[in-house]
Amino acid sequence: MSYLRLMRARVAGFFGGVRTNDDREELESHLEMATAEHVRRGMLPADARRKAMIESGGLAQAAEAIRGQRGLPWLESIGVDVRYALRALRHSPAFTTVVVATLALGIGANTAIFSVVRGVLLKPLPHREGDRLVYLRQSMDGPGGESINFSVPEIEDLKKGATALGGIAQFSAWWLTLLSHGEPSRMEVGLVSGNYFDVLGLKAVIGRLTDASNDGAGVAPVMVLTHDYWISHFGGDSSVVGRQVIVDGSPVTVIGVLQEAPLFPIRVDALLNMVISSHHVSATMVQGRTHRMTEVIARLAPGATVEQARSEVSSVYAREQADYKEAYDPGSHFRVAVIPFKKAIDEKARLTLIMLMAAAAFVMIISASNVLNLTLMRDGGREQELVVRAALGSGVARLRRLLLVENLLLALTGAALGAIIAVGGVKLLTLLAARYSPRANEIRLDGAVLAFTLTLSIVLALVLSFVAALPREGSFAAAIVSGARRMSGSAGRQRLQRALVITQVGVTVVLLAAAGLLTRTMIRLSDVRTGLESEEVLSVNVPLVTPAQMVTGSGDADAKERYERMEREVRALPGVVDVGVGSPGPLRGSDIVLEVKALERPLATGEAMPRADYRTANPSYFSAAGIPLIAGREFSTTDLPGSANVVIINKTLADRLYPHADAIGKQIAWTGDVLRFTPFHGDWRTIVGVVGNTQDGGQDVPFRAVVWMPFAQERVTGGGLVIRADRNVDQMKLAVEKIVHAIAPTAVVGKVVTVAQIKDESVAPRRLNAVLLSSLGILAVLIAAVGIAGILAFSVSARVNEIGIRMSLGADRGRVQRMILREGGTMLGIGLALGIVVAYFLLDVMRGLLFGVMPHDPLTLLAVSAFMAVVGLLACWIPALRASRVDPAITMRST
Amino acid sequence: MSDRVDVKQGTLALMILGTLDVLGPLHGYGVARRIEETSRNRITLNYGTLYPALLKLEQHGFIKAEWRQSENNRRAKFYSLTAAGRKRLASEAREWNQMAELLAAFLTPRNAAP
Repeated sequence: MSYLRLMRARVAGFFGGVRTNDDREELESHLEMATAEHVRRGMLPADARRKAMIESGGLAQAAEAIRGQRGLPWLESIGVDVRYALRALRHSPAFTTVVVATLALGIGANTAIFSVVRGVLLKPLPHREGDRLVYLRQSMDGPGGESINFSVPEIEDLKKGATALGGIAQFSAWWLTLLSHGEPSRMEVGLVSGNYFDVLGLKAVIGRLTDASNDGAGVAPVMVLTHDYWISHFGGDSSVVGRQVIVDGSPVTVIGVLQEAPLFPIRVDALLNMVISSHHVSATMVQGRTHRMTEVIARLAPGATVEQARSEVSSVYAREQADYKEAYDPGSHFRVAVIPFKKAIDEKARLTLIMLMAAAAFVMIISASNVLNLTLMRDGGREQELVVRAALGSGVARLRRLLLVENLLLALTGAALGAIIAVGGVKLLTLLAARYSPRANEIRLDGAVLAFTLTLSIVLALVLSFVAALPREGSFAAAIVSGARRMSGSAGRQRLQRALVITQVGVTVVLLAAAGLLTRTMIRLSDVRTGLESEEVLSVNVPLVTPAQMVTGSGDADAKERYERMEREVRALPGVVDVGVGSPGPLRGSDIVLEVKALERPLATGEAMPRADYRTANPSYFSAAGIPLIAGREFSTTDLPGSANVVIINKTLADRLYPHADAIGKQIAWTGDVLRFTPFHGDWRTIVGVVGNTQDGGQDVPFRAVVWMPFAQERVTGGGLVIRADRNVDQMKLAVEKIVHAIAPTAVVGKVVTVAQIKDESVAPRRLNAVLLSSLGILAVLIAAVGIAGILAFSVSARVNEIGIRMSLGADRGRVQRMILREGGTMLGIGLALGIVVAYFLLDVMRGLLFGVMPHDPLTLLAVSAFMAVVGLLACWIPALRASRVDPAITMRST
Repeated sequence: MSDRVDVKQGTLALMILGTLDVLGPLHGYGVARRIEETSRNRITLNYGTLYPALLKLEQHGFIKAEWRQSENNRRAKFYSLTAAGRKRLASEAREWNQMAELLAAFLTPRNAAP
């Protein structure tokens, strides 16, 4: 109790400011009383006062002792330290600025990237017991085979046979046209089983979520909005629950809003029960074993492990493959993977983020060693001051504390500035992360991230304070007596400084090599030929049939008529050279991949079933898009329903099916169980033409086999315009949009883009990687160059005497220059060698981020080493020049 | 001078409390004189010892201080016991007496033993 009161009084005393006058007056009154007493006893007033003073034991000491009791002395002496440190730092503004700026950059980069890594990779999932969730992925060989989803019968088998999966949620990607205030917009949605939210462990923010009662046919369609969509399209209005919205022409009730959660495998705007798509509840879908349209996310049963789930799933799968041979082509190697949900979500982001985090750590190492070096040099210069302070009574501990306070000030200022830099950086990085991860909206600069920053800067300050060599206790006198100006410091310290510079060079080389590889990747990717003759081609996607209509075929004739009208009107625009209709647009990947068989060309045993993208084109599509015809003919206006079935294939498929023969005139057909449920029929068709390959779906993917169907002859699955113009491409965009909107007012029309833009989309993420890493690399080069120049300049000024003596003994300027250059060159050389060795082994982890270049690409390593060497030598040159300008006469005299 | 005594930690506080208990409100000078007299000048207090001790007692709330006119019209800070201080004095005094008895029993000179 009374101790608490004591502390309170002392804290109050500390903050209460100056009570010194009060204390002084009290002491003074004491002194007067004592003097009066002595006078009363017969002393002369002057003597009495003197005696009283002597008895008092010193007023100043007493006042100090009282002050010590009144406040918090240790805090006050820290205050003194802080003031001292501030003064010292103000006296060397260049040092302070460089150190703070270096730290701010290093800490800023690390804070920004750490906040992304934390948000996307480290934070636990918002799902209840998210670590118990697993994602199932079925895949097969060949393009588009990485993830082929599951069919309902397959999922039923899993439910029966894999008891380690406690709950199996189904998710089928779909899209709907939402009509609000007469304006159509496309909604990406997931059609989910009623147990979806329960299995995933997600809650509603408002309203409710679906349950088993929402499953099957004959129930009312309901919609759960995702949090983002609710905010962006309904302004977070909670009255949306219970409202009816019109999608694909029919009313659906919004029953709730989902909590914020990463949406995987694709981002969607809303989740609905299956009934909205009659197809999803029809027999074809529910009973078709090859009708694979459903993603599977499951929750492990209590006590079950991922391993158990894996072995159960694989035995179920083995049985399925044995029982339904026609559904699993053995040559295509069907397989199922059971992946922890979080790992599946992280998959795409992990490598990029780890690379960025490593790069940021490298920058931190470089900037920390630079600061360390600067501090060491400065301490070298301050040795004398520290020795004097020590001799005047500061203990080593006290000096250490002084340094610590100084370094803390530097580090914390750097951290504060770094945090400001990070705020901007996080915004940029969030855009980057959103390309790879559904969790980008969880990125925050929050307390945990700032705690990371704070820890980083405090650790840094501690390191800086404890590597500085302080005079040892007892050596002060010797140091003062010798009066030596040992500017260069001890041999140990010099070794440390050199090691730091070498580290900087080495780490910089690694960083540069990584940046170089990414830059080359980006260039290689842009250099990949698209297969189109020109990239100045406009393309616009105009879906006139919904997925539901695509299945039933309703509205087909109307759609075809409107596409034709669009083509006619666009063709009439001034500047238009050619217009084609087809789907999807050039360079866009096709969603429809089917098995193909060739007449009189049976597959060898074990040979994978050929699969090809389903694409449609009208007669002018190829010339408008600039896809070269290799053999045969293009489609003609006479290829209509009722006339002979014709197709055009691309070179990849022709090489695959007829490696040694002419493909023209041969017959192929779509095949497979899946045709029973789809609008595509398996009639034989005659190949009339072979066209060139194009980079559909990205610059970095291999060519895919394609079968082109005559647009007029087949049911419409999608459509768009391909326009080649010879001028005014930008104005053309507007004109085209106007025509399309007039003819298809309710269609959700995509943007009119050039194929160059489409191509660029697939290069952009790589370019961002390259730009980010290159900027970190350039930063590193600058810091390292400053490091080398600084250490050499320091070495020169420490050796001015030596240089003076050498020169007066006959060394010429060139010799002196070479001496300094050799010193710098040695550090540079060792650093380069180390960097190359480390880069050679370390950069192998980047393999997955590269395209068209190997992780140990010798050209890249050579180029970055040469670059580093040139910059490094330039950095050496300045101090070397300075050394050669030393005037021996002056230096000798001043010794 | 050989009978000069160093003031042991903690004992000064007790002496101050005792003095204020006997004499009532008193300024620092008075407290110092009284302690010196009572100890028959075996204790001398310099300011650096006395005033921090007074301040500490005040911070603990055992004594309170106020500025007043002294007997010969001089402004001085007068200290007086608080209720807490009185209680503290009583408990401390009891402890000291017990301790003194105990120690006396141990330290009785051999030749005085029966």
